[in-house]
Amino acid sequence: MTDLNRRHVLGLAAAGLASTVFSPLSAFADEKELVIGGSIPLTGVFAFAGVAIEAGISDFVKITNEAGGVAGRKLRLAYEDTAYKVDQSVAVFNKLTTQNDIHLYYGDSTGFAKTINEELNRRGSILMAGASFGSELNNPEKYPFQFMAGPDYVEMIAILLEYIAKQQKGAKIVFVNSDTEFGRDPIEASVKRAKEMGLEVVGQIVTPPTAVDVSTEILKLRRANPDFTIFHGYVLAPLPEFLSQAKQLGLKSRFMGTFWSMDNSLWANVGAPADGYMGVMPYRYYYDTAPDAPILEKIRKLRPTYQATGYMQGFLTAMLMTEAAKRTLDAGKDLTAKNLKAALNTIKDFDTGGIIGVPISIPGNSVPVGRIYSYSAADKQMKPASDWISLKK
Amino acid sequence: MRIATAKETYIADEGLLTTRTQRAWMIVLALVLVLAPFVLNAYWLYLACLVAINVASATGLNILTGYTGLVSLGQAAFMAVGAYAVAFLDGHLGTPFLLNIFAAGLVAAAVGVLVGVPSLRVKGLYLAIATIAASFILHFVFTNWVSVTGGMSGVNVAPARLFGIELASPFALYFVIVPITALMVLAAANLFRTRIGRAFIAIRDRDISAEVLGIPLLQYKLMSFALSSFYAGVAGGMWAYFFRVVTPESFPFATSIFFLAAVIVGGLGTILGPILGAAFMTLVPELLKYVVEWLGPVFPNAGAALSPVRTIVFGALIIFFLVFEPQGLAEIVRRIRRFFHLWPFKT
Repeated sequence: MTDLNRRHVLGLAAAGLASTVFSPLSAFADEKELVIGGSIPLTGVFAFAGVAIEAGISDFVKITNEAGGVAGRKLRLAYEDTAYKVDQSVAVFNKLTTQNDIHLYYGDSTGFAKTINEELNRRGSILMAGASFGSELNNPEKYPFQFMAGPDYVEMIAILLEYIAKQQKGAKIVFVNSDTEFGRDPIEASVKRAKEMGLEVVGQIVTPPTAVDVSTEILKLRRANPDFTIFHGYVLAPLPEFLSQAKQLGLKSRFMGTFWSMDNSLWANVGAPADGYMGVMPYRYYYDTAPDAPILEKIRKLRPTYQATGYMQGFLTAMLMTEAAKRTLDAGKDLTAKNLKAALNTIKDFDTGGIIGVPISIPGNSVPVGRIYSYSAADKQMKPASDWISLKK
Repeated sequence: MRIATAKETYIADEGLLTTRTQRAWMIVLALVLVLAPFVLNAYWLYLACLVAINVASATGLNILTGYTGLVSLGQAAFMAVGAYAVAFLDGHLGTPFLLNIFAAGLVAAAVGVLVGVPSLRVKGLYLAIATIAASFILHFVFTNWVSVTGGMSGVNVAPARLFGIELASPFALYFVIVPITALMVLAAANLFRTRIGRAFIAIRDRDISAEVLGIPLLQYKLMSFALSSFYAGVAGGMWAYFFRVVTPESFPFATSIFFLAAVIVGGLGTILGPILGAAFMTLVPELLKYVVEWLGPVFPNAGAALSPVRTIVFGALIIFFLVFEPQGLAEIVRRIRRFFHLWPFKT
């Protein structure tokens, strides 16, 4: 038997490493392929979303390939974990773009989108979208080769405000946000917009991102006594704490949130205090059996258990970027970032198969459509509380 | 076997490279570093630059923690100071690239001296907490001093330019980042051949004795903080030119822990330690991804299923090294060298 000692192990490791570093990496350059690259957070704080996003994109790829691919090309997802860290996301981007001929890319954060933007502009060959709805990215001049498959954070709150304005004229609002880039993003613009719409902003509360004890914030909320409290910049904590303490104090305020805090399974574990929590959601939920949503039926067949909101986000993002590629190829044009983005912007009254309940258009970098849902603790489900709201610029 | 290395003068005995073999290997290393960018692909070049930046910062932390015995968890915040300094100088004054990097080091050093003041009264864990507090204060400043830092959305940095050449790609930046880091490591190695470096070591070993020996603690502890933050500032400056955008979330608190872990895993109080530690901490998670990739054909959906396992393996590797090689990776290298010094008599 061979005696495996430390030197052998080191030797093997070195040989393995050398083969990795120097191997010709562009072995996959297949003409008949369309590759979606992805810096996806499968570990770290955003892993819950990353895992769902990966599942969503993978299923879209599967469904598309079963239907014959895109303009004769097979679709393939090449992704790696980023742990939701910008430097790792960039490393993954560099690695995947070296190994594959990539024209479509999924990024995992606002930080990554901002960091990689110059590189996207320099390359001019990749159209990118991702998990970020950062309002800064919704600027076609500054971010010409990026888009988001939904409304940006300012637009999400604008949708909430439209709903509020219809429900109660001159309603009093408090904004509660986490002290992060994500949390602060829409606040300034939303306060201004609320005032323009005749709504009264009676307070703004900023909490640390990992706040657990919110008793002082609740007291502030009680003093302000709003009709609606809008949270942004959280996934779940400390929202349940807010909701249960507010109920104990008998506050009349209704509580609302934005996309990343709207997942059904998150609230199902919270139970009774979650009842009546509302928020804006750009996509239909997994369990929605609306007759005009055939794609949801297909998804339920593929995956019999509940899929998180990140799944729909990943699925739709892949659908829209693939549609842009399809339109570009159909027009006989090269897959450059400019052509891809121009093709994306031609999407008008597009049927998403029911993921979004109305036909959508992408004139710029976002899809400013959403619907208000409200959580029913009895049914353990988010239920629609409004019709689809499309923002007009 | 190492023979004929007897030294006739003290200067020769104190030399950085004392044998011909060492010099030969150093030339090989220099050649490898020069030729690497022509061989490596974009991904590995990116990682090489990232490792170099992390080596610079870890070397700085090693001066403070490894050699002076002052535990700091503020290295990421000092890097951020350097990065913002570069962003400000580049955006507002348009000063040249190398000057900006140097100035970033100086600004970070000034902040480091301020943060180092409590080190005169507190040591160990207490000092670690004081540096954590300082990094939170700095984070607050980055978030709220909007006119300089751009607030939460941060600032963009134009590509570095040197002699009219735009340094935008990792390939171009490699030729600046790696030499700067090499110079900084060389300077650190030389530092411990001087009175200042020896004073740091004396403070680490027993500060009261050091004071009795005539080392002014105030001056030297602050000097150590200044030097350490200078390194962090320069590393942060290079980081800013590398990633071209600086936000308050670019340097989270976890980054400080990353550097402390790098120095410990590499080997505290050695020059080689932070180099190996930073390379280990940066590259191992990436190399583990290849393991996941290789398992792809055998394991369905390997990427999603095995990524959490990868994190656990990385953590376990760190624990493994700490348990089986508490003196760090540098000690393993030293052992390998010793083996060749004695070969073939004792293996």
